[in-house]
Amino acid sequence: MQVSVETTSPIERVLTISVPAARVDEKVNSEVAKTAKTIRIDGFRKGKVPVSVVKKRYGQGIRIDAVEQIMRDAYVEALQKESIQPAGAPSIEPKSLAEGADLEFVIKVEVYPEITLADNSAIKVERIISEVTDADVDTMLETLRKQNSEWTSVERESADGDQVTIDFVGYLGDEAFEGGAAQGHKLVLGSNTMIPGFESGILGAKAGEERTISVTFPEDYQAENLKGKEASFKITVSEVAEQVLPELNDAFVEKFGLEEATLDALRAEVRKNMDRELNQAVKSKLKNSLFEGLSSINEVEVPSALIDQEVDGLRKQAGQQFGGQGFDVSQLPAELFQDEAKKRAKLGLLISEIIKSNEMKVDDERVYAFLEEMAQAYQEPQQVIDFYLKNKEQLSQVQSAVLEEQVVDKLLESAQVTEVTLGYEDAIKPKAQAEEVGEEA
Amino acid sequence: MIGERIYKVLLGPHISEKATIVAEGNGQYVFRVTGDATKPEIKQAIEALFEVKVESVRTLNHKGKTKRTVRGLGKRKDVKKAYVRLAEGQDIDFMVAE
Repeated sequence: MQVSVETTSPIERVLTISVPAARVDEKVNSEVAKTAKTIRIDGFRKGKVPVSVVKKRYGQGIRIDAVEQIMRDAYVEALQKESIQPAGAPSIEPKSLAEGADLEFVIKVEVYPEITLADNSAIKVERIISEVTDADVDTMLETLRKQNSEWTSVERESADGDQVTIDFVGYLGDEAFEGGAAQGHKLVLGSNTMIPGFESGILGAKAGEERTISVTFPEDYQAENLKGKEASFKITVSEVAEQVLPELNDAFVEKFGLEEATLDALRAEVRKNMDRELNQAVKSKLKNSLFEGLSSINEVEVPSALIDQEVDGLRKQAGQQFGGQGFDVSQLPAELFQDEAKKRAKLGLLISEIIKSNEMKVDDERVYAFLEEMAQAYQEPQQVIDFYLKNKEQLSQVQSAVLEEQVVDKLLESAQVTEVTLGYEDAIKPKAQAEEVGEEA
Repeated sequence: MIGERIYKVLLGPHISEKATIVAEGNGQYVFRVTGDATKPEIKQAIEALFEVKVESVRTLNHKGKTKRTVRGLGKRKDVKKAYVRLAEGQDIDFMVAE
């Protein structure tokens, strides 16, 4: 077998392989002999079919199969011989297939690019320093109160933020139109759930009051027949209710099912959760910006096979997000994910290069620490940890996450880190939003 | 022999273990022929259709077996076979001929 390798680009190799005719014939003959043992042809007992007959009848097909197999074998052999690491499936193109002649074929295969990592010190990242303050906890408690608020009916004119219970009938001219009537409809004033003018028309009404208001439907209203029309609504307000926030006391705390139903316990619990959230947000932001920096200082040509893999992965994710079972994922155009996939593939290459060049290994202690931290969020931490330790697949996921963390640490050692102090709110915001805030400020 | 008769004499090749052996060893090719075919007829037909030189023709009548079924006795078809020896160095490739 002869192999010649051509390097057409940093990520592509072209192998020209020729296999002597004798090797092909030998393979074909042995295949034919094997078939002759098992095949059944009319007029012959099983296993007694002469090789010559089998060859005449099935020779062509057998030859094609044999040649294919030889090409695959030769490809693998050539990879070993030339020590090439393929990044994806090869494209094999036969040059000469004629019987009796040497078999020649050309293989194009993508390889992992050779990466020389740029100096990490060129990476600039911002490390966010932030702490949960008492004020932040108070804000969170306030939010909790709002979520648990109740409506109590009041005898006064309705104001912004009140909830009114109304019956209404809508008229176009003199006629009531379809879908324009409701009874016992609950509406929060100022929530802008109705068409413009409707809510402001009720503002100031008392319970039991009847009002007729005229409004104009907006041009982009969803019902064709109502677009831009003027209509009048006859509204009867049956109840005006005011939002009442629950008192911050032990009774309120009891709703959250804490073991110890005191306000202090709730504060501590809320604080713990916020701390964890903040920690994670800061960590992941740091990681993202590090990785971003890493891929911006390194130029790598990414094999398209790897990009395709990423595209497939992203497609599946997208399919899950759209949620429908039987949703045909392959319908989503590949272009949609191309950029993101390329980014991911490149990052993957870079990270694995860092791991390789620094000879990094998963640190078991860190894996355990990672599990412990994650398990904190569950009711029974020990069970969660045991589950992960027993489950190979899950464990390897955790291990790769830890390895990633180790890479982050490695990068942090050499990267230029500037420290930024941010409040809790800004710190846990997703990146894009945080940037906007930064620009405004 | 009238032209049309050539196409009626031969019914097809007879492919079996024995047929393969005699083809490879003796240069004899086995055909199924119509029951009333004569040796000269077979010779002529083969020479005309396969463009070969026929040395000799030997024939045999194979009586069909009687088979019992639920509905009484049945009989399989009789078959007449012809062993045709070709001139030295000539052969017939049934795969191509068919």
